[in-house]
Amino acid sequence: MRTVVQAVILGLSAGAVYALMASGLTLAFGVMRVVNVAQGALVILGAYGSYALFSHLHADPFLSILVVTPLLFVVGVAVQMVFLRRLRSDERELSLLVTFAVAIGIEGVLTLTFKTNYRSINPSYANRTLHLLGYQVPLVRVLAFVLSAGVLALLWLALERTRFGRALRATVQNPTSARLLGVEVERVAAVGFGLGAATGAAAGAVYGIVWPFNPGSHYDLISRLLSIVVLGGLGSLGGAVVAALLMGVAEAVVAATLSPVWSSFAFFAVLIGVLLVRPQGLFGTVTRGEL
Amino acid sequence: MGKPHGHGRPYGRPQGRFRFAAALAVAALLLAACSSGKSSSPSGGNQAQNSKPIRIGASISRSGDFSDPAQLVLRGYKLWADQVNAKGGLLGRKVEIVTVDDASSPNQAVTNYQNLITRDKVDLTFGPFSSLLTLPSAQVAKRYGYAFLEPEGGGPKVFAAKLPNLFFVQPAPAVAQGQVFADYVLSLPAAQRPKTAAYPSLDDPFASPVAEAVRTRFEQAGIRTVYNHIYPAETTDLTPIVQKVAAAKPDVVVAGTQSEDAYSQVKAMVQLGFSPKMLFMSNGANAPTEFPDKVGKANVNGVFSSSTWSPDAKTNGNAEFIAAYQKAYGGSPNGIDGNTADAYAVGQVLQQAVAKIGAIDNQKIIATLHSGTWSTIQGDLQWDADGAPNGKDVLLQWVDGTLVPVFPADRASKQPVAVKPPWGG
Amino acid sequence: MSWFQPWGVARGLIVFGALALAPLLLPQHWMLNLAIFTLMYAALAVAWNLIGGYAGYVSLGHAAFFGIGAYTLGITLDKLGLSTPGAASSSFHDLVPFLLLPAIGIAVALMSLPVAWVALRTRATTFAIVTLTLLFVVQTLAFNLTKLTGGSQGLAFPVPSFAVDSFERPFYLAMLALLALAMLISWYVRGAKLGLALFAIRDDEDRARGLGVRTTGAKLSAFAASVGLTAMCGGVWAYYISFIYPQFAVDPLISIGTVLMVYLGGRGTLWGPVLGAAVVIPAQQYLAYRFGQNNLYLIGYAAVFLLVIVLLPRGIAPSLADWFRRRGRRAEAQEGEPELTPRVPVRGGG
Repeated sequence: MRTVVQAVILGLSAGAVYALMASGLTLAFGVMRVVNVAQGALVILGAYGSYALFSHLHADPFLSILVVTPLLFVVGVAVQMVFLRRLRSDERELSLLVTFAVAIGIEGVLTLTFKTNYRSINPSYANRTLHLLGYQVPLVRVLAFVLSAGVLALLWLALERTRFGRALRATVQNPTSARLLGVEVERVAAVGFGLGAATGAAAGAVYGIVWPFNPGSHYDLISRLLSIVVLGGLGSLGGAVVAALLMGVAEAVVAATLSPVWSSFAFFAVLIGVLLVRPQGLFGTVTRGEL
Repeated sequence: MGKPHGHGRPYGRPQGRFRFAAALAVAALLLAACSSGKSSSPSGGNQAQNSKPIRIGASISRSGDFSDPAQLVLRGYKLWADQVNAKGGLLGRKVEIVTVDDASSPNQAVTNYQNLITRDKVDLTFGPFSSLLTLPSAQVAKRYGYAFLEPEGGGPKVFAAKLPNLFFVQPAPAVAQGQVFADYVLSLPAAQRPKTAAYPSLDDPFASPVAEAVRTRFEQAGIRTVYNHIYPAETTDLTPIVQKVAAAKPDVVVAGTQSEDAYSQVKAMVQLGFSPKMLFMSNGANAPTEFPDKVGKANVNGVFSSSTWSPDAKTNGNAEFIAAYQKAYGGSPNGIDGNTADAYAVGQVLQQAVAKIGAIDNQKIIATLHSGTWSTIQGDLQWDADGAPNGKDVLLQWVDGTLVPVFPADRASKQPVAVKPPWGG
Repeated sequence: MSWFQPWGVARGLIVFGALALAPLLLPQHWMLNLAIFTLMYAALAVAWNLIGGYAGYVSLGHAAFFGIGAYTLGITLDKLGLSTPGAASSSFHDLVPFLLLPAIGIAVALMSLPVAWVALRTRATTFAIVTLTLLFVVQTLAFNLTKLTGGSQGLAFPVPSFAVDSFERPFYLAMLALLALAMLISWYVRGAKLGLALFAIRDDEDRARGLGVRTTGAKLSAFAASVGLTAMCGGVWAYYISFIYPQFAVDPLISIGTVLMVYLGGRGTLWGPVLGAAVVIPAQQYLAYRFGQNNLYLIGYAAVFLLVIVLLPRGIAPSLADWFRRRGRRAEAQEGEPELTPRVPVRGGG
């Protein structure tokens, strides 16, 4: 029982970081119906950004988020404007390839700059532990959880409470009517995509403290993120969060109780099971012809 | 709104398409033919056999999973070649290492050795990094009668393939890497021996078999197994696993690790406040600069690992190797990675075989290497019919922040520390 | 039978005849090695096109079936006692793996049906991701079912005793035969009722179903044929490489590479996938071989990739066809024009 509780705590903290990354992915899908396969690479780019700031300027990785996030927002907007905007609506599948190419490009640039060694960001508190109700929890995990939850809350507020958020949600629901109502759909899409990249960057800084990474780490990440957003329902922010937490907990519990080799399998089994019953995912909605 | 399906696209027809397919295929072939012409021209003339450099081909991963260690292997090859060339070369000919990228993919590795041997017609071949690329590559080399001296392909399946042309240039096969730790533990008086052991291992041909072999010996000696699991390669989060290990309270942890998983294990142990009396990690902990860099300088002391090579060893050419390394890459002798030393030893073995034969002849090299003892910076090596070496690695331990050989006594420079100090100490 | 054009068939025969004779004319080992990988990807791309191009279901999980084919062959050979080095080496034994291929293709096709049924309930992006998930499930199984697959230790294949000079030839011919089979199926389907159903599904599945097209049956048939061919390619590949590991036999890059080639060549076309493979594989292997020394390889690859998508979003074949058509119009109007109008009626109304 103790091991299970401990595993759940660790799983929730890992899940929160994944939720942050996945929220960017699902947001980009929502505004553009584009699956951003480069989201994993953007996360790793964010991790390297905060790694560089930490190792050269000794900037605290949590503070460096304030620098890295706006930078990646710009990168995201640029990717959207240069490559994705020109795709016609019936060529959306091409976006899988375009963003994959972007991912490879980012991997190439990172390989060139940082080589392929595994890196990790090691601030002074990296190895400190908190005692919560008799359970030992690494401090960075708690910080990661708090930060992820905080950014997600901000994102939610931005979507629910601001003018821009309303425009964005209108675009997600129906681009044509939104346009008729005077929403600048193109701009909203670019900003939405940029926001997705920016949350990736924030998640990246956290990722870099908790786990080691190299330029190729994005392949593993994106496969997990894609499964998370599909389980949650494409385009659903809440769904992504629930699915990410589910994945984190399922993996940690299976690893601690059964065997580590079946831990990722457990999540995939849940995914397939859910899709059998609900092809649109947990919180997805069915649109005619599209899921 | 339905699906925004504006304009249907023409699906094309066999007729119209065909012309372009043929044209492009021809263009592709022409391109290939031209490039082959270009590359063969420099090595084309067969006059002046003696002045022509000896070209040694090797596939080196520049991207992908193996790119990091593969670069360290390349350093070893280059250091050896530079040294040989500075002394007038092999049989009076310069040595040139021809490397090509395989992107850590066996398809590309096979293609590379095919190209190196049949197109570029290199004189000799050296191995890539990892058993996973070594085995298919060695099959290609075998087909064309090339000797395959390789520094990093020591997994069990490599030897099971019974390749007569393969020589694994390390003191011991990968599986036997932990034997020296088992030797040390079992050499302790019974009262000091650990009673319980845990074996968390990476699912990798280099890692989990090491822990497996140690477990067999420990169980025979009555050390109880309290945890034995392998974790998949993509596991980045080792905290749940370490947490389970900690709950089993083992005296000794024998971790079959590669690199980043070793760092993650240590980090998790530190974070969870679990410090076993003894900790052996097959790889990762033997990386002299990476390990303290990743887990923190305060958290290395007492950790055991093993290596094929040690900077303190008085082996053939070791001082020369270290001097050359420091000249080229700087740093302290303790900062030299074992992969580089292994690759350098590959060159040494070749050099001695060629000197003995007096010619660059793959068949003779293969025949010669199967008998006798070959003296390298790793010590004396010899191989069985399948290319497996029959020596033992040296046990290393982190003592006062440096990695030193501690066992067996004749290769040790310090006494082993029997009980690991707590983390941060 | 408007699709049966004698001239087209003759041209197909000429291409495959020429390719079959190529090893005699170009016997260099390195060239045949390159040709084997090119033919393999061409066959994979044509097979993928059946479901991904014709029906518009973008699968990213075909590498799972590639790996299943490779492992099925390896395990079968193992059980037959043919895998241990030096065991029973006769010219007949060397050919056994090739003889097993059709059975493996059919078995994998049948086995895929339940999986396909689940996966094909989802659409578009979700389908792509679900198939990608399938890939990771199969990879995990390959790692974890160590008794069967050897897990991370890998699985050895018997090394055939073909003569060194013509070692690559059987593998080349086997890949060529698979490509021919894939092309034959692909060409047949285009003209058959199944093809019409698949194109209708691609255009608008709900509408197609409304019009009485048996969408599930059509999708399942295309998927099964597609993955059966893919599995056979995996078998030949594994025998050629001689040794397989989970991460290389079930490699997402195989899926993605295949998809890239189809898009590059022209999705939904007959020759486009072949064209894509003929351009990408030689270029990729050549670039890695020549320019891999500096780390610019990945960046260059991504740049070319993006350039192609931006400049030729519909793929080489359709774009070139347009170009030729425009040129043809200018010169002699009657030749190219009627041929190039789509045979399958493009959706009229909305």
